[in-house]
Amino acid sequence: MNTSVPIVRVKETSKRRFPKLIRIIMLYIIAILFLFPFYIAIVYSIKTPIETAQSPLAFPTHIAWSNYSDAIAASNFFLALRNSVLTTIGTVLLTITVCSMAAYMIARNNNRFYNFFYYLFMSSIMLPFQVLMFPLYKTWTELHLLNTIPGLIIALTGVQIGYFAFLYVGFIKTVPRELEESAMLDGASRYRTFFSIIFPLLKPINSTILVLSALGAWNDFVVSMIIVQKKEASTLPLVQFQFFGEYTSEINMAFAAIILSMIPIMVFYLFAQKYIIGGVTAGAVKG
Amino acid sequence: MTRKYKDELLKFTFIVPALLFFCLVVVFPFFRGVNIAFTNWNGIDMSYDYVGLHNLKLLFTDTELLNPIKNTLFFAIFTTVFINVIGLGLAVALNTKFPGVNLLKSFIFMPMVISLVLAAIIWRYIYSDIFPTIFHTDGGLLGNPTTVMLGISIISVWKEVGLAMVIYYAGLQTIPKDMYESAHIDGAGSWIQFSKITVPLLMPAFTYCIPLWIGTGLRQFDYPMVATKGGPGTSSETLAMYVYNYEFPYFKAGYGQMAALMLFFFILIVTVFVTNYFRRREVEY
Repeated sequence: MNTSVPIVRVKETSKRRFPKLIRIIMLYIIAILFLFPFYIAIVYSIKTPIETAQSPLAFPTHIAWSNYSDAIAASNFFLALRNSVLTTIGTVLLTITVCSMAAYMIARNNNRFYNFFYYLFMSSIMLPFQVLMFPLYKTWTELHLLNTIPGLIIALTGVQIGYFAFLYVGFIKTVPRELEESAMLDGASRYRTFFSIIFPLLKPINSTILVLSALGAWNDFVVSMIIVQKKEASTLPLVQFQFFGEYTSEINMAFAAIILSMIPIMVFYLFAQKYIIGGVTAGAVKG
Repeated sequence: MTRKYKDELLKFTFIVPALLFFCLVVVFPFFRGVNIAFTNWNGIDMSYDYVGLHNLKLLFTDTELLNPIKNTLFFAIFTTVFINVIGLGLAVALNTKFPGVNLLKSFIFMPMVISLVLAAIIWRYIYSDIFPTIFHTDGGLLGNPTTVMLGISIISVWKEVGLAMVIYYAGLQTIPKDMYESAHIDGAGSWIQFSKITVPLLMPAFTYCIPLWIGTGLRQFDYPMVATKGGPGTSSETLAMYVYNYEFPYFKAGYGQMAALMLFFFILIVTVFVTNYFRRREVEY
């Protein structure tokens, strides 16, 4: 990284505005303010109701781990966790497979036929889910997909196909054609060419789509809320939403349930932070 | 000739799976919804009648629509302004080197990865328990009809500022550093550099971010649904919740679907208009 910008700023600020140190301290304070809600959630989750009432902010003198065991039992945590994991894995795999295949043909065939499908997919990016909500609910009832994990996976994949196919097409257009042409000349089938030659070259965009669709599926509330009304298929956000309606008086246990369902995504964030930030900025900034 | 035909068919099979799921989830429900919008269907009975534009007439004469419109506009404008201003400010401030700069970035981005349900629930207790303890106020923002939308909007700002920050930060990395150097040699101060170099060259990021937040703000459903369920009363109901309420709990699917279509056209017009406004201001360099 170039250091010329900081040098310019230091000269400038030392004359007119705060010295650099004060600015850094202010940034630290802002970042800590952003973490404050997480602190509250953690502290609430390990306190007894009595200590919470005495001083909501303070760290507890005695850690009430029982909040966690109560939360696991009362919210049926492991069932919801299983549903969330299955839904997320299914959505990610389905999304990457169908979007990369479709985008490959669209990117390689710049004719009216394939462009039609490109614009068809793209037109859904602007579509608010509220337009599809009720008819999708009715269709899913008729197809017996309501309250099922596959039903949720298909719905979550379908609403995102437009944007993800768009990102794939943009990337595949930058991949040179020479490799696949020589493979085709050697007699490899189109499917073989795609899966053994092209797909490995798509690693950067695959990881972007993996991160975006995993976060989207894991955290989804609106689509899930329409497709799933029963406990058997409820994912973590749905269970949390229900749980807080039922247990408003036992907030410490409810906060333990919050922390529990935050752990998997926080571990993911810790290890994949670079890819997450790369993924969310992928569609935004060119080059 | 048949071989060529076969190959074209084979090529088409690549887009069939995506097309199938897309039609099932988006295309078919969309047209089914357009059909429902012109009926008086309650959403359950087998029979219903076509009522033409009656639902549209009802929609435009419903005075109860005014409050959701006001709430939705407030949410969209408030979140768009604060998320982008704070996000850009943080991106510029963190675009230097000092100990812990990457750690601060990951702290500020952290709320973005948790689910909105958790964010809204945590903030509900911050408003009701923590703020009264610190500031000695009572009730909290969410309990009062006049401040409830402000409270909901703040949750959204807290959660999404990190996203704006990383997008603007990535945009800042594309600006050539020598532009700042020559501006500095020419005697331009930091405000001039920000307004004459940073802002114009960040235009592609604005073109992405501002329509994005206006669009998600106008279709906002989740934050008020989880934080207040539209309450107290209906004081934090948004347009998307209005649609939901008519389609599900009120059993007026035809009317709700017409409202959904109008919401779609409204968002489409606003987003296209805003996107074009910023795209025209993008500069080549």
